[in-house]
Amino acid sequence: MKLLLLALTVALCACRQEEVTRTRVPKEEGEAPPMASFPALPAAAPASVRLRWTVPTGWMETSGTGMRVATITPPGPGKAEVTVVALPGDSGGELENANRWRGQIGLGPTDATGLAASRAAIRTKLGPASTYSFSAGGSRLVAAVVSYRGVSWFIKLMGQEDAVKRAEPGFRALLESVAGPAT
Amino acid sequence: MKRHGVVAALVDALSSLKLTIVCLVLLILIVIGGTIAQVPLGIHAAVESIIRSFFVWWGPADAGWKIPVFPGGGLVGAVLLVNLIFAQFRRLELSWKKGGLWFIHLGLALLFIGEFATAMFQVESAMPLEVGQTRSYSEDYRRVEVAVVDDSGKDFDDVFSIPDSLLRPGKTISAPGLPFSLKVHAYHVNANLGMRSPSDPPGPATVGVGARMTFEPAPPVTADNEIDSSVALIEPVLPGGESMGVYLLSNALGAPQGFLREGRHWSLSLRKRRYYHPFSVTLKEFRHDVYPGTDIPKNFSSLVRLKDARSGDDRDALIYMNAPLRHAGLTLYQASFGKNDTLSVLQVVRNPSWTWPYAACLLVAFGLLWHFYLSLRRSFSGGAP
Repeated sequence: MKLLLLALTVALCACRQEEVTRTRVPKEEGEAPPMASFPALPAAAPASVRLRWTVPTGWMETSGTGMRVATITPPGPGKAEVTVVALPGDSGGELENANRWRGQIGLGPTDATGLAASRAAIRTKLGPASTYSFSAGGSRLVAAVVSYRGVSWFIKLMGQEDAVKRAEPGFRALLESVAGPAT
Repeated sequence: MKRHGVVAALVDALSSLKLTIVCLVLLILIVIGGTIAQVPLGIHAAVESIIRSFFVWWGPADAGWKIPVFPGGGLVGAVLLVNLIFAQFRRLELSWKKGGLWFIHLGLALLFIGEFATAMFQVESAMPLEVGQTRSYSEDYRRVEVAVVDDSGKDFDDVFSIPDSLLRPGKTISAPGLPFSLKVHAYHVNANLGMRSPSDPPGPATVGVGARMTFEPAPPVTADNEIDSSVALIEPVLPGGESMGVYLLSNALGAPQGFLREGRHWSLSLRKRRYYHPFSVTLKEFRHDVYPGTDIPKNFSSLVRLKDARSGDDRDALIYMNAPLRHAGLTLYQASFGKNDTLSVLQVVRNPSWTWPYAACLLVAFGLLWHFYLSLRRSFSGGAP
């Protein structure tokens, strides 16, 4: 009988089902350093073609990991964040990228006509570029793509609608300051 | 009467010395087989599939079936434990003269049970720390999780961790406090990732960086210095049935992906499984000492600052080879290092039964001393040996 109980205990322990856990944790300092190299991934921009920009006064920039080159946080209340991601090629083209951004705030895809309504022109130090603005469900996203030597730089401001609108003038100044690598 | 005959035969078999010998021979073969299997499988897979399993399974490479071909260490150990218990109660009289043997058998039984408890309950993870860095979690390098994080807060993140064992295709995962459910479309332990070219057909991921990537499922890695690039296709679905798109998540992707909903930003990532601890560890100094004039390592040590608000601990601790730090039911060992000696990797082990082998050895030692003392006394008093 005791053996049966032991066997049942062992069987029950062996079959215990894992569950979703919820934890409240302090914000991280940074990502854990990797212990082993991962397989080859799409290469982010090498240092030789790394763009430069001027961060508005009071904004905080931290370096990113993987394909994310940088994260820039504007001051003030509310959640808003600028991310800079570099990918080789055109990474899908204008409409596909715009629909991906729309998906990030819960909007469905649009077509070329709808895209034109959300497009605005801006001039960086590398030449003219376009910004795209979308709002939905209390969230807002403003993004631009700057192409330089075969690498697409996705510079995106996203967050709560109020916070993003407050940060937009600074974001525009940041985009206008985007320049090629130091020589 | 017939039933009693069957029971008696079973008790005879379970308490027989022949069974003990067979089990010991099988254990020798399992240890040899497990050692050889480390070459193609790696240490962890060899231990799990041969030493700690109840059966060693085999099947053709591409077949969907496997058959047991040899008893595993778990089964042989369990039979040996039963054999030990039956032999104990069947053969040994309960007397002072046999007390030593009782303790020896009790110690051996505790050793077996301790190994079972270790196999089932031990959790190993790693805490890589660069000098000056602070961490309050460790990571499992053999398992992954989908982390869904509400990072809208200023100082704190709300983290929902979904272990890989729940990532079964077709399953819908929900959790209290999570304002959407997650539909699992696919999960692969390992895959080869690449960028999508214009000639590739549309992939299963519809949003995020994964929509521009391709993947090809691959066999899990076996080398101990490699990590699987796991891939999961996850679709967040709002309560009304509205889809937020299908995300391709992988621990090989750097930054998490995510979306905004009602002013809250949710990030999605597939990462090494994390175990959060109620304390933090800061690496103050890492030392890699060598013998003078050589590159031969003499000592690896990590000087850390341990802070635990619950216990009130706020102290320095030196972790070096064979001198781990024990705290909050965990043991932190010096495990590895890197980045020109600016990175130290601590192994973090939770093993509720770590004291059992010590207790087992003490019981066996005590039993042996008892038994030899009685034998010696008999010998000196001229009694039969």
